[in-house]
Formats: sequence, C-alpha cells, structure tokens
Amino acid sequence: MKRILLNILLMLLAFTIQNGIFPLLPFVAATPNLLLILTFSFGFIYGKEAGLWYGLLAGILLDLFYSGSFGFYTLLYINIGYFNGICTKYYYEDYITLPLILSLVNELAYNGYVYIFSFLIRNRLDIVYYLREIILPETIFTVVATLLLYRSFLFTNRRLEELEKRRD
Amino acid sequence: MESKRSKYILIGMSIFCILLIIITSFRDSFLDPLRTGVGYFLIPIQSGVNRAGTLIYNEITDYSQFKGAVKENERLRQQIDGLIEENTRLQAEQFELNRLRELYELDQNYQQYKKIGARVIAKDSGAWFQVFRINKGSADGVRVDANVLAGGGLVGIVTDVGANYATVRSIIDDVSRVSGMAQQSGDTCFVEGDLTLFSEGRLRISKITKDGDVKDGDRIVTSNVSSKYLPGILIGYATDIVTDETRLTKSGYLVPAAQFNNLQEVLVILELKEEQLQGGMTTEQGEQE
Repeated sequence: MKRILLNILLMLLAFTIQNGIFPLLPFVAATPNLLLILTFSFGFIYGKEAGLWYGLLAGILLDLFYSGSFGFYTLLYINIGYFNGICTKYYYEDYITLPLILSLVNELAYNGYVYIFSFLIRNRLDIVYYLREIILPETIFTVVATLLLYRSFLFTNRRLEELEKRRD
Repeated sequence: MESKRSKYILIGMSIFCILLIIITSFRDSFLDPLRTGVGYFLIPIQSGVNRAGTLIYNEITDYSQFKGAVKENERLRQQIDGLIEENTRLQAEQFELNRLRELYELDQNYQQYKKIGARVIAKDSGAWFQVFRINKGSADGVRVDANVLAGGGLVGIVTDVGANYATVRSIIDDVSRVSGMAQQSGDTCFVEGDLTLFSEGRLRISKITKDGDVKDGDRIVTSNVSSKYLPGILIGYATDIVTDETRLTKSGYLVPAAQFNNLQEVLVILELKEEQLQGGMTTEQGEQE
C-alpha cells in the first residue's frame, strides 16, 4: 500500500519536473522522458496489470496537459505499461541489461507513435531530420536516465519490502 | 486467470481511449469540468515546482554571468556572506523588473486591447510540441482563442482554459498557422510553424500572391481577415522571400519578434477576434459564461 502511494507520488513528481524544471535548462539539448521510464519500470517490476494502471495515470496527466484529442497519450501509456509487464517473468534484481533494452524500445515506440499520428498524417515526411534532431537525443538521454533511476527504484523497493517483512 | 483479466482491461481501455480520441477531436468542451477539476489540484504543485525551478535557474544565470566578478570577490564574500545572498535575490528581482518593463512597453504599443499579464508555469519538455501553461485562467477572464504576446510580438494562442490556468500553443509549434499580412503593402500570407526550422529560430511564410509586394525585412503583422488573431499584432520580419516553382505564389521565412527560449512572463489579450467580428453589440453577454 505504502509502495503504491510512493509510486503515485513519484509519477506526479516526474510530471511536474518534466514540465516545470526541465524547460528552464537552456543548455541541455534534450531531456529524458521520466514518465515513460517510470511507467515501463513499474510494468516491468510489478507486472502487467500494475503497469496498466500506472500507465493510465501517466497518460491522463499528459492528456490533461496538452489540449486536443483526449486519450492520445493514455492509449499509448497503458499499452506500454501492459506490454512491459509481460517481461516481468524475466525480471530479477540486479539485471540491468533488459531494462536498458526495454527503455530503448519503449522510447523508439513512443517517438514513433507521436511522429506518425501527429506529424506524418499532416504530411511531414522528413523523417531523417526528426530522427536526428529529436528522437535520437531524447532516446539517448532517456536510456542514460534509466541507467541511473532504475537502480534507485530497485534499492528503495527492496528497502520497503524489508520494512514490510519486518513488520509481519 | 489474472492475466486474462488484465488483458480484457487493456483491450477495454484501449477501445475506450480510441473512442475518446475520436469524440474529442471533434468536440472536447465536455471534458472542461474534468480538466478544471484536476487543474485545482495540479496547478499549485506546478506553480510551486516552477517557482523553485525559476529560483534555481536565476541563481545559475547569475552565477555564470558574474563568475569572473565573484572570483575576485571571493575573499570579501567570506566576510559578507549574508550580503551576497541578499544581492542574489535582488539580482533576480532586477532581471524580473527588466522583463516586466519590456512587457509594459509592449503593453503601451497595443494599448487599444485589454490585457492581463501572466506567468509561464509549465512547458512541455519533449521536443515535439511547443506548448506551455500560464497561471491565469477563466477566473481572470482568459478564454479559448485569446491571443498571447511577449517580448515585442505575438507568441501564441490559448487552446484550452481551466479556472486557474490556460494552455497556450506557440506560433512556432508545428501545427500553428497564422494568417498574416505585410504591414506596408497589406498583402496577405500564412505564417506556419515548422519543427525543422525551429532550431534556426525561423518560421515559414507561404501563399503570398505572385504580385504581392513583400520584401526581405518587411514587418509581418496579423491580418485583418484572420478568424482568431486580432489585427495588427507584430509577428516578425520577412526574410528570404522567393517565387515558388509554380510561379503563382511566393514564400519565404519569418524571424519572429518574440523570443521563445526562456519565456517567463506573457500578456494575454482578453478580447477575442470573434467578438470584434460580431460588432461589439452582443459582446459581453454571450461568451461570458
């Protein structure tokens, strides 16, 4: 229970940092997509259904921020949460390679989704430019951030588990 | 058993989302109560985080600017730590004063319109869209389609409004399309945001008639025929105007008058073009609620 509350809090924090702090940093070319990292990590650690609900939260936050079609991000994030949850059977602690690969795949899927449904359908065909200038930098930053963040999740997660066990 | 259930939930929610996307792309006003409700909860958090961020940011800028001077003062600073701290705060306020003065000057230029100042509290950190959020909403009289100005020219348009916040789409966003005209000749054109030009700090101008008299350096303002933008607001300056291959139209680029990196305060015009078109008779009553 405590863990769920903490995770929800983390998501809200990630959302506000992403919108309130990152844009103030003019010297970085791209910023990591924290909500995406949280969504797929939770899916990966806690399983399909949990990933689905965390994805729902992340998606709704983003949909509320952007005006326009409501549900665009929710649709993507619930699917990301769910499908990363499938990999949960390969989850064991201290194994960082798979999360990194997942991070890469998810980031590409996310950007591909945004590109296809918001740019390609309006006849913006210069995919090489978008790949080089937007998708690539963001992907690199996100994968690096995953490397740092995922470890700290695992750490706090283990701590909380220990605390819960001790109470029993 | 559990996995079956989550699969059904996923499929159900996905279908629901797709339906919602379809419905809201035609009409999204019925979601306004939801957005406003969540806004009450989320906006204070965003403002708080933003204020903290701005403070940190201002300190960083101060630091990099005065790095040389600070080194020289290192010895002195140890004695007057308290003073320096106060100084930093005053510096930040000074920057704000300068920005507000600029904004005030702009206010003088467009005096005929009623406006309010607003602070930018959140911005999308992804690179795909150029959307930001301000801390004034319908409670302050801001409405959808209100024009937003800063630093000498047009910045964007309000696309969504809650009680205490509004979302603004910048004119540099890829989907933005403003109907403009050359101030001298009155020839109309379209000013379009383009993500591929964004890093050069330019926008695209298109659809100038082939006889249109638009030269490099001309001031481009919002046009009289626009349905959403009030006439005569400076957008920027034309550059690299050439005749298109079709020989029917001319196009080129525009350097915007407003500075888009580091927007912190903006002015929102409370009047809407729509009301002007209706002729002022029924202005206030219909739209107010």
